[in-house]
Amino acid sequence: MVDNKISSAPIKYDNTFAKEIYSLENGHYVKMCMQCGMCAVSCATRQIMDYSPRRLFNLIRAGKKEEFMRSNTMWMCTTCCMCKVRCPRGIPLVDVMHDLKALALKQGYVEYPQAAFYQAMWAEAFGRGRVFEGGIMARFYLKRGWNEIKKALGMKDLGMEMLKHGRMPIVPPRKIKGLKSLQQIIQRAQSLQEKEAK
Amino acid sequence: MRYSVYPGCSLEATALSYMKSLEPVAEALGMHLEEIPDWNCCGASVASGVVGDFAQQVMTARNLALAEEKGLDILVACSSCYMNMGLTNKRFKDDAHFAKLANEALAVGGLKYNGTLRVRQIVDALVNDIGLDKIKARVKRPLTGLKVAGYVGCQTVRALPWEYDDPERPVLLDQLVEALGATAVPFPMKARCCGSSHAIAQTEIVLDCSREILESARSNGASMMVTPCPMCQLNIDAYQGMINKTYNTNYAIPTLFITQLMAIAFDLPPEASALKYCIVSPYEALAPLGVGK
Amino acid sequence: MAKKTGVFICSGCGIGESLDVDALVKVAAKECKAPVCKTNGFLCGKEGVELIKQDIAAGELDCVLVVGCSNRVNYEAFDFGPSVVVERVNIREQVAWSQQPNDEDTQAMAEDYIRMYMAKAKTVEAPEPYIAENLSKTIMVVGGGLAGMTAAIEAAKANYQVLLVEKEAALGGWLNKVYKLAPVKAPHTELEDTNLEARIAEINDNPNIKVYTSAVIEKTAGGPGLFDVTIKQNGNEIIERAGAIVLATGAVPYNPEKLGHLGFGMSPNVITQSMFEEIAKKGTITRPSDGKEVKKIAFIQCAGSRDQEHLPYCSAACCIESIKQSLYLKEQDPEAQAYVFYKDIRSSGQYEHFYKKAQMAGVMFIKGDVTDVSEGDEGTLVIEADDLLMGDKTMADEIDLIVLANGMVPTTAFEEGVYMGLGAVAAVTEGAGEAAASCDAPAVPPATIIKSNILNLQYRQGPELPDLKYGFPDSHYICFPYETRRTGIYAAGSVRRPMDMGQSVGDGVGAALKAIQCVELTEQGAAVHPRALDISFPDFQLTRCTQCKRCTDECPFGAINEDEKGNPLINPTRCRRCSTCMGACPERIISFKNYSVPMIGNMLKAFEVPEEDEEKPRILIFACENDAIPAIDMAGISRLQLNAWIRIIPVRCLGSLSLVWINDAMSRGVDGVLLLGCKHGDDYQCHFMKGSELAEIRLSKVSETLDRLGLESERVQARTVSIMDYEVIPKMLAEFMEKIEELGPNPMKGF
Repeated sequence: MVDNKISSAPIKYDNTFAKEIYSLENGHYVKMCMQCGMCAVSCATRQIMDYSPRRLFNLIRAGKKEEFMRSNTMWMCTTCCMCKVRCPRGIPLVDVMHDLKALALKQGYVEYPQAAFYQAMWAEAFGRGRVFEGGIMARFYLKRGWNEIKKALGMKDLGMEMLKHGRMPIVPPRKIKGLKSLQQIIQRAQSLQEKEAK
Repeated sequence: MRYSVYPGCSLEATALSYMKSLEPVAEALGMHLEEIPDWNCCGASVASGVVGDFAQQVMTARNLALAEEKGLDILVACSSCYMNMGLTNKRFKDDAHFAKLANEALAVGGLKYNGTLRVRQIVDALVNDIGLDKIKARVKRPLTGLKVAGYVGCQTVRALPWEYDDPERPVLLDQLVEALGATAVPFPMKARCCGSSHAIAQTEIVLDCSREILESARSNGASMMVTPCPMCQLNIDAYQGMINKTYNTNYAIPTLFITQLMAIAFDLPPEASALKYCIVSPYEALAPLGVGK
Repeated sequence: MAKKTGVFICSGCGIGESLDVDALVKVAAKECKAPVCKTNGFLCGKEGVELIKQDIAAGELDCVLVVGCSNRVNYEAFDFGPSVVVERVNIREQVAWSQQPNDEDTQAMAEDYIRMYMAKAKTVEAPEPYIAENLSKTIMVVGGGLAGMTAAIEAAKANYQVLLVEKEAALGGWLNKVYKLAPVKAPHTELEDTNLEARIAEINDNPNIKVYTSAVIEKTAGGPGLFDVTIKQNGNEIIERAGAIVLATGAVPYNPEKLGHLGFGMSPNVITQSMFEEIAKKGTITRPSDGKEVKKIAFIQCAGSRDQEHLPYCSAACCIESIKQSLYLKEQDPEAQAYVFYKDIRSSGQYEHFYKKAQMAGVMFIKGDVTDVSEGDEGTLVIEADDLLMGDKTMADEIDLIVLANGMVPTTAFEEGVYMGLGAVAAVTEGAGEAAASCDAPAVPPATIIKSNILNLQYRQGPELPDLKYGFPDSHYICFPYETRRTGIYAAGSVRRPMDMGQSVGDGVGAALKAIQCVELTEQGAAVHPRALDISFPDFQLTRCTQCKRCTDECPFGAINEDEKGNPLINPTRCRRCSTCMGACPERIISFKNYSVPMIGNMLKAFEVPEEDEEKPRILIFACENDAIPAIDMAGISRLQLNAWIRIIPVRCLGSLSLVWINDAMSRGVDGVLLLGCKHGDDYQCHFMKGSELAEIRLSKVSETLDRLGLESERVQARTVSIMDYEVIPKMLAEFMEKIEELGPNPMKGF
């Protein structure tokens, strides 16, 4: 677990940041957390998270923005929905995590590889209307640079197997016919959502 | 019985064998599948994390709008697609404000969705529409003696909990496996996450998660795993070699889509079972049933 | 005195397969000379019961021994009216089902039980009820708060006359002080009006309810059905007779002066929950120091409660009250910030919705310990805390108002204004302990009675209700709620235990029902809980009384006063028939028609004690009817094998144990005596409060005697058993048997 604690002075409760989170699409659910920890014990990737979802929510409420933004918690979420099913407060944690990821991206907190992967996949989906693994990987490695490519070379056996078994088309699928219209719909939705948030 | 079908991006690439087996199996059971024309990516489990739930759900809704005219239930194979399509559809029904706003966005593309359809996971449709009796009756090569771990995964049962199965201890996949004459072994990890899309960004997460699942299947005596989820199949099958290398293990558990197993049990032609797409070879496990290359 | 005893032996339920029933008949008819002895394969069936009824109708019998199942079943089938004594000889659960079938020792056990009950039958008589004259069925409710008003309304609706006594000028109690109530109805999220006017109107409009306001109770004499209560109102004394009393005098907030460590007294902006209610009731929520509107508020939970230095208990209502009060502020200003520092949020039941509502409104809940409260700039306050969930030191500043959730203390815990609930040396009855000094008896711990000047009981044991814990007068929160240790007086609401408004309403209803049960049973001359319907009552042969006062001291319910000469003066309607007095009396002058020292003595002299060389030891068990007997029965029902050497005698309560029985048993050559009673101590389970404890105290006395006689005192031991312990009974008996075998046979055998 990464020690993300920034200073040793007593934490001063400050709800400015919490209010920012509450204004997100699913952000208000953070208020509902009663800190029982069911999410933490249900999580498939809890052991590699800096903070369990419970602790992450507590950071938000206390106003610890930097610690929150730098934590890997939301990026480690696999969206397996176990916490969402079990939360006694009915918080859709997976959906809250979506907002937290989007917020981190928007504010430029992109150091985790998942951030690059998300951007790559989104670019692929938005740019083509359907996603193509080859395209995602190309975009991902471009974003992450040389180290990630070295890692990828270590996985070439796997790539070869995929190719051999006909599961990795080299040629990307055609863009969908209604791509233009899809993009316009998405953009409209984004602007509507921004208006809603205000 | 007619269905609209939403294949999703995986079924065109990494999960080709899913589509290749689904179509003939459906036909054998009298299910008529009509692909949604010019469907687009649902956003997977990623789009929301970039553009937020609303934009992602509107994106998904384009597919619902395209399918609505036919009025058929939409059959969804992929788990993430099922989650997104299902949740979006539910929101159209439950949340009038959302529906109004979403239709405002769809209108840009000349589309509208009235929330009249049902989104169905394949296992749900097979068990609850076709029925286990009919499936049993269609079996020509009972899979007697085959020990199968039914790996349900997460989103198919948890995205819409209790929609058709228990979100933590699902039973329908096992019932389907048993209907084919095989033995569904007890499998406590049947609904545990495989690590999902971390495969590319941080492979070790998938290796760790999937290893636990493989161990659970093997220790319970399974010689094969079946799943209704493309991501699960990919991670367990394609990454098994890397798991063995990393953890110095020797798992050799082939992982099939449930529809592939059905194609074998229905004794459909080899193209239908699409076994050549399996990375971990299934032939040893299937040899006692007389299935060869 | 029962003269003609009929023995009816059932051979059903496996009895016939396990025992030689004909041989049992021989014992009853030949050896014990029962005039009638019959067997039936299904005695509780229509035909079987008819068999018994015919013999009774023929004038043949006035006592019936039903030899078969436990008296815990088929009670109604074998009820032949008040003039026929029925004794149940349990050879099913205790013999056929828990012993080796068709074994000579099993047969011997069943035969012994017939001998024992035949011996008892010789002296047993049908009890006649004590019915007092001029009984009242009026229910008096003391305290006109929420619980008291509810009790009054409910009893009146059930058509009982009600007297409602309130010390203030108006009814309503705590409700007069609060702005709004936490939700008691669906959807459990909205603040509710106190609805006080309507509640008072309902009382005033009900012709069954007579209200005394500005009234206190000078004196309460008598007992159930016969309470003579002197009410003092505006200088006048009024005497009213009541059948039962509901005590609903409520609680008061814990003294905040003692909470200086949380800032009380340091700044006028540190207040209590009740002070906050006053502010909210007036209108805008402002700071007491300067009238500035409150923008930031902090609630400190468990201010005093769950704190060994203050109130060790949870006050139960404060969490919900703070949630409610935080919503007052949110109602006034949705942007205002509210913090709640808590140990645990206890929002049980439907209150969870209310807690959620406050969370949705943006109230921030912080689990942690407040470490410091200090003054900040411009009249604001600063709280420092250890945030447990953050695992860090935290602080909140610029707080306008701090509200201390200072918990509640029952009104019964004060003696002349001083809080006595924490075990401070409270005044004990004059005369208590006198008995111990006078007759060399071991000291019996007296009940603590705090002179709270509420009921002013004319009871020898003291003027108020005995304290259970922390000044609350209940007798057992779980098993016997409402029942105080004074029969006919029922506590309800926050005087009984800390509780919220919703629970107080429930309590008012519950206590009213208890009071109704009491007046009805008293009218029949029967006992109330737990021996409901028992019409026997103790008889004192006063000519032999030595005025030692042990019965008056040891009665757990204060049923016995004394006359001017020091003789015991029984108030039969207060009696719960536990027979503790019978066990206490060194002269053995107290007895019941169907339960007495000689009766049990005859039983233990009736079973056979084999000679030493037969190697068949005998263990006598005195088992409490309330938990030990049911546990033994359940062991039988579960077909657990019990030791073959035991002979069991049920007792009403171990408190009725007479040392003479032990003496007699030992001198007969019985190898060991085991007492099975309920758990005692802080979390006691004795149905009569102290019975098993008293038995052990008495036992400690007999131990010395035994040792002096050269008889090992380990031969007599006591064990506690709860009804759930049936599985451990075989092991418990085996262990005791092992000890006895180690000691060898009783040397008194054959003397």
